[in-house]
Amino acid sequence: MRMPSPLPRARAAMVSLALAVPAAAQMDANFEQRLQHWAWQPLRDTPTPQVAAPSHVADPLDAFVLSRLEQDGLQPAPPAPPEVWLRRVHFDLTGLPPRPQDVAAFAADSSRAQRERVVDALLASPHFGERWARHWLDLVRYAESMGHEFDFRIPNAWRYRDYVIRALNDDVPFDQFGKEHLAGDLLPTPRVDAASQRNESVLGTGFYWFCEQTHSPVDAEQHRADRIDNQIDVLTKSFLGVTVACARCHDHKFDAIGNEDYYALYGFLKSSRYVQQPLHRQDQSAVQRALAAHRALAGSCPENGEPLDASLAGYRSVGDEDNVSPLRAAFVHEVLQDEVRLRYLPGTWLSTAAIARERDCVLLSPTFVPTTKFLHLEVAGHGARVQLVVDGFHLVRDPIYGRLRAAIDNQEPHWITIELEQFRARSMHLQFLDQRAHDLADPAHDRGTYPDDAWCAVRRVVASEDRTPPPLVGPAVVTSLARSDAAVAEALRQWQHATAALAPCATAPGMADATGEDERVFERGDHKTKGAVARRRFLRAIAGSAPMDVQEGSGRLQLAERVFADDNPLPPRVLVNRLWHHLFGRGLARTVDNLGHLGDEPLHKDLLDHLARAFVASGWSQKHMIRRIVLSTTYAMDSRGEPVSEERDPDNLLWHRQNLRRLEGEVVRDALLAIADRLDPTLFGPPVPVRFPKEERARGRPEASGPVDGDGRRSIYLAVPRNFLPDLLVAFDLPRPFSTVGARTSANVPAQALALQNDPLVHSMARLAADHLLQDGIRDDDSAIERWFVAMFARAPSNDERAVCRTFLHDMRRDLGCDATDPRPYTDLAHVLWNKKEFVYLR
Amino acid sequence: MLPLFDAFARTNAASAPRVSGGACRPHHAPRARAVIFLYMDGGPSHVDTFDHKPRLQADDGKPWTRPKARTQFQDDGNILGSPWRFHQRGQSGLFISELFPHLAQSADRLCVVNSMVADFSEHTNANYFLHTGHGLQGRPSAGAWASYGLGCETENLPAFVVLNGGLIPPGGIDCFGNGFLPAHSQGSLFRMRGEPLANVTAREERDRQRQKLDLLSALDAITLQESGSADAIAAAIHNQELAFRMQAAVPDLFDLATEPAAVRTRYGVDDPYEPTRTYAQQCLLARRLVERGVRFVEVLCPDTGHDRWDQHSNLKKGLADNCRMVDQPIAALLEDLAARGMLDDTLVVYSGEFGRTPFAQGKNGRDHNPFGFTSWLAGGGTAGGTRYGATDDYGYATVADPFTIHDLHATMLHLLGIDHERFTFRFGGRDIRLTDVYGKVPRALLG
Repeated sequence: MRMPSPLPRARAAMVSLALAVPAAAQMDANFEQRLQHWAWQPLRDTPTPQVAAPSHVADPLDAFVLSRLEQDGLQPAPPAPPEVWLRRVHFDLTGLPPRPQDVAAFAADSSRAQRERVVDALLASPHFGERWARHWLDLVRYAESMGHEFDFRIPNAWRYRDYVIRALNDDVPFDQFGKEHLAGDLLPTPRVDAASQRNESVLGTGFYWFCEQTHSPVDAEQHRADRIDNQIDVLTKSFLGVTVACARCHDHKFDAIGNEDYYALYGFLKSSRYVQQPLHRQDQSAVQRALAAHRALAGSCPENGEPLDASLAGYRSVGDEDNVSPLRAAFVHEVLQDEVRLRYLPGTWLSTAAIARERDCVLLSPTFVPTTKFLHLEVAGHGARVQLVVDGFHLVRDPIYGRLRAAIDNQEPHWITIELEQFRARSMHLQFLDQRAHDLADPAHDRGTYPDDAWCAVRRVVASEDRTPPPLVGPAVVTSLARSDAAVAEALRQWQHATAALAPCATAPGMADATGEDERVFERGDHKTKGAVARRRFLRAIAGSAPMDVQEGSGRLQLAERVFADDNPLPPRVLVNRLWHHLFGRGLARTVDNLGHLGDEPLHKDLLDHLARAFVASGWSQKHMIRRIVLSTTYAMDSRGEPVSEERDPDNLLWHRQNLRRLEGEVVRDALLAIADRLDPTLFGPPVPVRFPKEERARGRPEASGPVDGDGRRSIYLAVPRNFLPDLLVAFDLPRPFSTVGARTSANVPAQALALQNDPLVHSMARLAADHLLQDGIRDDDSAIERWFVAMFARAPSNDERAVCRTFLHDMRRDLGCDATDPRPYTDLAHVLWNKKEFVYLR
Repeated sequence: MLPLFDAFARTNAASAPRVSGGACRPHHAPRARAVIFLYMDGGPSHVDTFDHKPRLQADDGKPWTRPKARTQFQDDGNILGSPWRFHQRGQSGLFISELFPHLAQSADRLCVVNSMVADFSEHTNANYFLHTGHGLQGRPSAGAWASYGLGCETENLPAFVVLNGGLIPPGGIDCFGNGFLPAHSQGSLFRMRGEPLANVTAREERDRQRQKLDLLSALDAITLQESGSADAIAAAIHNQELAFRMQAAVPDLFDLATEPAAVRTRYGVDDPYEPTRTYAQQCLLARRLVERGVRFVEVLCPDTGHDRWDQHSNLKKGLADNCRMVDQPIAALLEDLAARGMLDDTLVVYSGEFGRTPFAQGKNGRDHNPFGFTSWLAGGGTAGGTRYGATDDYGYATVADPFTIHDLHATMLHLLGIDHERFTFRFGGRDIRLTDVYGKVPRALLG
């Protein structure tokens, strides 16, 4: 029997110092040879193999597996008992146990047709998306805070989590899903949720921002380099299954990935910015009506015809773009009982109140490099902020960066002066915000909210060596229109009607384009020593070394198109390998995030490519592929192999059986809630706070500790504060969100036993389950035992099991001096059954 | 699932009555019963601590002219003399710098290896290599090998305990994993703040809990019968029992108030410097763990705010603070073990994953250097007051008696009574050793 080649060793020589040769010099010579590595090859179309036992083949994939087993003289395991298959497929597809009625129905009929019905129902369940979204969140190191000293929150991160759940439930084609991640803000026709008119595509770009961010780094450019490194790492591992971040300091040591590839990708990210992206596209006719009505109200004020100052050229807005305009007149400032108050700013301003103060947006300057000592900003506004973002560092806070931010909270024209000091000659941009989404730079953001009627306007940005700003434009003028005037009343009615028709201003973390810039290769990864320009392009191994023709902005859209182009075999191959991993506990290529040279070369490359081609042919449908796999004979095998096969292939490298798998912590917790009938099936929404031990104090810890049972919500809705992950889930291998984790570890430690023995959630759910049992009128032990075995293990108890449980209940009652109406013995029984290993394992 | 363990002589239960869970019996009379591994995360500078180089001092500030390999940051500066003075200490006259005033008094207990060599210049690879003998993730940690082979001398605590002072090294908890060895051999991390382990506190009376666990054992036995070759399930059952006993054993272990005030003070439990206080508690706990029969204790560093022992810059303050953190507690640990007669059969190992360059990184830093660095051993059958091997006259590369990470592992196993070449586990079709195909045990190190 052929075995996989031993792991290649990254073994540095015991160094002959004089002979140490930098790997970089070897890259060009090695490139063609490295390109021969299996993972770079196009998807191969292999005919379905012939097998000696065609009855074993329920899906072509079975033929690939079986032919290899036959070749090596191994016996496939028999099919798992029906109840084992049912429990397996329920947990695999929805992360929840089958209900007693599901178990009963399947006991009556476990035919192929019935299996198809079961699978189709599970795939159509909204819980499917919740289950599979958690797998995806592991890849994008999903977290709701930024870690480090203070663990600052990432505002609205949870909306990305909901987006992933919806996308999986809607079976959004994976290439579309991928493009939304890379460039959802730039797609010419974004995917819009029909009911809510929510822009789904833009939500995908949130994944860039689940990175750690340092509080007050001394070197912002270094910080950006580290942040972009993590973004490249996650992007390339998640979608491509290669480790491009290994090429940060030098060419990849083993793969056909050069140092230049890394910096060619770096440019796309350097040319992009963090923003809170608005989620709703406006109905343009409502916008036009609103603008017209606003003009009718406020247009009577004088215009002076001054052009917008040249210093504001190239400013763009993110958010409610229609609400931003060069304002040459007044705007509606307040609507009172008897009058409409207008505010007139003399001169011409870029303002965020073209439609209404209640609309949100962010004004962004182009990237610039100031050479003067001071920046003077001529502004007016209320409840708004301005920040100078240096080298892409958005946490503009004390101690180092606080001086680069200011509140705009004076409705008269005034100057804000920023002293640049050591930031002079750094690359930076300005952002003016009036949105109510929390703002990374604002110390108030962690506790407070912003007024709904914030607005701001900017007339000039003046770079100067002089600390004193130029003279101000004249004061604002406030005028009133009487609502008793019929024309005013009508215009007001029109305006209120039109603005009410506009969508709300919900936002989520995402990407926006910045000024397009290529990066230079950092010599040995050090940004202080920059070498040749690496023009933006995709990986040379896939797309050649010609740069992309990026006309404007970041070029992320072109990158997205290139990543998911037909000639790139990596995304479909990586994705189907991940699906296999989740359904068998191990990928066809074991190292699911790295198909490169240091990864494992799969023994079933033909099968992997067969599935990848079918996946693309199906329109990149994950549900279609999952359906095929779970209805296969291979998936349905028992996890106990035939003796001859166990003997020769104990690690199941050839898939002669299913694998015994431990449930993830989230699934264990959800199953507890489901069985105790405490599971709240509500989908989506802000996270439920995590529970903390009272005595534990730490910097950045969320102020409020959450409820023991997490309000009954599924685990995916529990908060994910990076520095304070919930103990129960951590004990069961919730990965630290630092990088892509496609294959969780499945450790086996006393911490898990301690959690199931002593965690208050487990105790309270056991009591709840016992209470429900008694409420349902169950008084005899056999019924109780039967009910819980079915609920927990999807099967009836054996006679032995029934007997020991019965004795236990009897003894407990004797010791406690109670009768069958006392919930305590039943509580103890439920608790014991949850600790039974069968509960946390999938056979 | 079922690993074919092909270790040396199987345990004869009668021959090792005190031991639980060991797969094997010692090959020869062990010199050490337990190991305390003081892991200096980040790569401490050897030329400022235990490898005295007068030439470095003499040529301070001169350009480096000899051949050298790439460093991690390639920001190599001139030769950087040590800012600290060295003195000869004890009867043995070992050179120890003024950064270790307490430990210097125990110089005659140290077996200083000045000729360490590692294979990797990057932390994560180097950490895996130091811990598992392999530069990539996924192999069993040395502590797991020892636990797998020899089991534990207590039934109330895991065989392999990692005392987490606050910093998990690059590479993460995989540094303490069991790899392909049975899961019960993996390191258990104990926190130094709050509940040492989550949920270690029982929420019901012990008798009632015992009754429930008995039912559970009966049910699990039935499951095990049915699921056949399920190592994972067997390990989970093992953990259940261990967890039950840990509920009593861990609080007892952590109750440092039972130590005499003089002992606590000697370790530095009341030191004004917080990292010293934490590290003192860890060292004291290490002794208590070994006393209770734990096989392998690894002590991780607390945070001094200097990014571990990784002094790419700010060498003076960073290294001084780190040494301040560990010096007194380690010295107290050695003397305390000796006073209790435990040092004879407890091996203490001090090592980073590599050392640092004799030339500067920038102005006041040193880059990674795996080509020559220093670790030391004490107790457990090692020769105190000796020095083994040497680096060149600047402390850059080993020039005499190279001692590799594999050699370190071989020596640790040897002192535990295990012949590293005969201690194997079959995985993926190969009989795998902690020491791969390398490793030697120099006689000169043994007392």
